[in-house]
Amino acid sequence: MSNPLSDMELPDVAFCIGTNMTEAHPVAATRLKKALARGSKLIVADPRRIHLATLADLYLPLRVGTDVALLQGMAHVIVRDGLMNDHFVATRTQHLETYLEHIAQFTPEWAESICEVPAADIEKAARWYAEADQGAIYYTLGITEHICGVDNVQCLCNLALLTGQIGRPGTGLNPMRGQNNIQGAGDSGAIPDQYPGFQAVVEPDHQRKFSKAYGREMDATKGITKVTAMEEAGRDIFAMLIDGENSVVSDPNQQHTREAIESLEHLVVIDIFLSETAEMADVVFPATAWAETDGTFTNTERRIQRVRRAVTPAGEARPDWWIISRIAQHMGLRNFDFNHPREVFNEMCSLSTTYAGVDWDLAATGRYHWPVPYRGHPGTPRLHEESFPIGRGKFSLIEYRDPAETVDETYPIWLTTGRRLATYHTNTQTGRAGGMDYLAAEEALEVNPRDLEAWDLQDGETVWLSSRRGRIAIKVAGSKRSPMGTVFSSFSFSDTPINTLTGSGYDPVTHTAELKVCTVRIDKIAVADTVGG
Amino acid sequence: MTTAFEKTRTICGYCGVGCTVDVLTRDNRIVGIQPAMDGPANEGALCVKGQFAYDYVHHPDRLRHPMVRNADGVLERATWKQALRKAAAGFLQSAERHGRHAVYGIASGRTPTEADYMMQRFMRAGFGTHFIDNCSRA
Repeated sequence: MSNPLSDMELPDVAFCIGTNMTEAHPVAATRLKKALARGSKLIVADPRRIHLATLADLYLPLRVGTDVALLQGMAHVIVRDGLMNDHFVATRTQHLETYLEHIAQFTPEWAESICEVPAADIEKAARWYAEADQGAIYYTLGITEHICGVDNVQCLCNLALLTGQIGRPGTGLNPMRGQNNIQGAGDSGAIPDQYPGFQAVVEPDHQRKFSKAYGREMDATKGITKVTAMEEAGRDIFAMLIDGENSVVSDPNQQHTREAIESLEHLVVIDIFLSETAEMADVVFPATAWAETDGTFTNTERRIQRVRRAVTPAGEARPDWWIISRIAQHMGLRNFDFNHPREVFNEMCSLSTTYAGVDWDLAATGRYHWPVPYRGHPGTPRLHEESFPIGRGKFSLIEYRDPAETVDETYPIWLTTGRRLATYHTNTQTGRAGGMDYLAAEEALEVNPRDLEAWDLQDGETVWLSSRRGRIAIKVAGSKRSPMGTVFSSFSFSDTPINTLTGSGYDPVTHTAELKVCTVRIDKIAVADTVGG
Repeated sequence: MTTAFEKTRTICGYCGVGCTVDVLTRDNRIVGIQPAMDGPANEGALCVKGQFAYDYVHHPDRLRHPMVRNADGVLERATWKQALRKAAAGFLQSAERHGRHAVYGIASGRTPTEADYMMQRFMRAGFGTHFIDNCSRA
């Protein structure tokens, strides 16, 4: 997030797109509700009539995968109606002229023809957001899990640049991170193109710095993404170390993931349960769980916080960092003699630019939002106040593209996936917590009640749900959250593995899977199938 | 006679909001979770998962010891020494047979940062490659 969570109480207009915040980030949503109680306006764009949509002053029910059309239409209106922040674009941006030429073609009527949101509502949304004293954008994986995820984000950046709704309290571009420490995973350099602190691996200076620190020559070329690694498993990739990740259930195209993992010579998994992925491993290590280990998490507002051990670990479970460092030592690697998480964190801070001004003890205060570039720096709760990392913000020229799959005669229904309040990720934790199973004991495919009738299905009936990649049996449940022609399931239940069906395409830049859109078919289960097993 | 409650200040392990909580423990078991009124992200609020979904920590399904696949293809209990040796030997062997770019690491968005840092350090210091990613793409 560019702005701190406390800023969520400030905007006059909050524009939420592709974020089911009340279910996936409930406490952040309570902060936004405080703004609404004060009289702030809420615009919600989401294909599903989620709870947040019912709180909205303006709800934009776009067709799945058409965010670019909606957002370009809004930008067009801002320019057409003279709602641009002239001072901001003149002093903080570049490439405005070419952008203005580009955006002229994307009328709200054009946008309506693609995203199915009435042009008048697109105009209203644009006006509200642009005219707000403090306008903020909030988004989640509904924006990024598309083949055009980068395009979607850049369209949002364009809106913020046009209106100057960034770099001030109660504004900003605010992605809400889905997992407790997904921010920390990126910060720490567990990505194929950047060292800790987002230092590009292709920069010779960084290569020298880390080659020296780690005592061996580093590649000057980027690594490959997880998506590519899974594709190359058995051909170029033969061994994997997977820490705390249930790829078989969480990744798209489950059959492909399973085959990829099976084709490895050597798989080592570190986890707290024998997950579907761990079951396939050659060696499994028991890791300490939350509340059994000391360490740090970095949250969605880039706040570095300490987590602490409250109980002794189960059985022989050990911290992940300890297990990994001991595998390294058994491979004969030197310089892996870490004995406390403090040593690990402090080494990272010493090599990172974003964490350079903190250490284990300062992290314990919970006061620091990165970047903290040097000792004594107070941290950066709000990004881009004076300038952008590249200086002036750059407008991007984006064209609308259809999702990887569009509905046709064979697969006439849109499927979109996501999270639910009472389950977390692949449900390995929440599925083993008393009471949570009562709130969400099983998955059911949300289908518009009128579609249930049109497709001759009973509420609660188990059906075959198929895509080009596979088929699962799943119950249907009538729900007005689903628009007609679009169905929804979470990915949390391994007995209804929805990711058997997903995986139609990937963003070409980030390799993020288009988990938010694929096309499916529903078939009745013949009696012979159920009786015969 | 029951022992007293202990309170440990920490951060919730679910979504990315990062709510500050106090974990209540007694006899080395978690018996409750309270939102911290002075938690900067949550200011006293907490959701249903954060407050109640903690039983999994003590669940009988927890992995309690290392496991190694035996000659019959079955995962069976192993000592730390056996498991670490086998894990290390497998990586060395694959790298020797197919080159150092044959090994890949996947880190987690749920583990602490120290685990993620160590994962990338393992790949970079161990193999000199950037064949490391985390689960943020899925």
